[in-house]
Amino acid sequence: MWGRVVEVMLGCWLVLSPFLFGHYPAPRPLWTSDLVCGGAIVLLALVSFWWWPIARFLRYAHVLILGVAFWLIGFGYFYGGYPASAGYQNDIFVGLILLLTAIIPNEASQPPPSWRRHYQRQTTAR
Amino acid sequence: MRKQVQPERYWQEVVDLDAYAPPFNRNPSAWSQRVPISILASIATIIAGYMALFQWGLIPSIWDPIFGDGTESVLTSEAAQTMDRWLHVPDGAFGAWGYLSEAILGLAGSTRRWQYRPWMVILFGIDVIPLGGVSAILVLCQGFIIGAWCAPCLATALISFVLVFMAYDEVWASLKYLQRVWQHTHDKGLLWRVFWGYASTEADRLALQR
Repeated sequence: MWGRVVEVMLGCWLVLSPFLFGHYPAPRPLWTSDLVCGGAIVLLALVSFWWWPIARFLRYAHVLILGVAFWLIGFGYFYGGYPASAGYQNDIFVGLILLLTAIIPNEASQPPPSWRRHYQRQTTAR
Repeated sequence: MRKQVQPERYWQEVVDLDAYAPPFNRNPSAWSQRVPISILASIATIIAGYMALFQWGLIPSIWDPIFGDGTESVLTSEAAQTMDRWLHVPDGAFGAWGYLSEAILGLAGSTRRWQYRPWMVILFGIDVIPLGGVSAILVLCQGFIIGAWCAPCLATALISFVLVFMAYDEVWASLKYLQRVWQHTHDKGLLWRVFWGYASTEADRLALQR
């Protein structure tokens, strides 16, 4: 679950960054993107954490964070231009780090669910 | 989370997460092997991040016990500025991200991930061996191209090489496992599923075979 914890922290960081880096209230596209992406990351990570009251497939919600990560990198790189100010460089780095965490499965320190079910069947068959 | 874990609490009775991975007489996915990799990669992340702080102008100078001003000449050189124009971020910071990726991918997965998550081990292997090795060679070349040497850069390059040696056996065990699955079944679909971490009785039988 530590991948999700890191994502929630990065999402909160992104929500705070317009105020930390001073790009609120201008430029508007940058802080809007930061707030929306930060919120989306926290939401997707928490849904992946608490999938079970709703539906099984939602535990893979964290994979969608890859999309947000690509947006952040692309937005920071292309919209930010060169030289990129701190706010855009922040977007690029948060995006890059999210690329790493978004591929980490829930319960990463255990075998995947498929293998656990496989061995579970062996115990019940005995 | 109890709802998820409770019905499968017995699986640990029939699986040895510390099993030796053929062809080695050790478990290359053990924490005793992976935690040091991540610690070393984290040290390199901190060193590269320290150089990035200088490139961002957040600290006025940089400490180099061997080459003195060499580090600052390397970090402000023409090559570093070209990289900055390409990446839009300082190359030191990009390097820090590279080492961070090795630390994160090194920590993810169970102590038998060479069998249960080959995709993760192979991604980790690509990150550490070709990418880490090539970038370390480039850093070593910097001294000859730029004409100035940089002790923190050399330290991170050295860590990269050590990480290649520390990481190769896990990647090798995973590749050999996939090779056994392929040679005994010649089933592309099965190989694909095993690669992505789906269980298979046949693959499990082959996993510990020497």
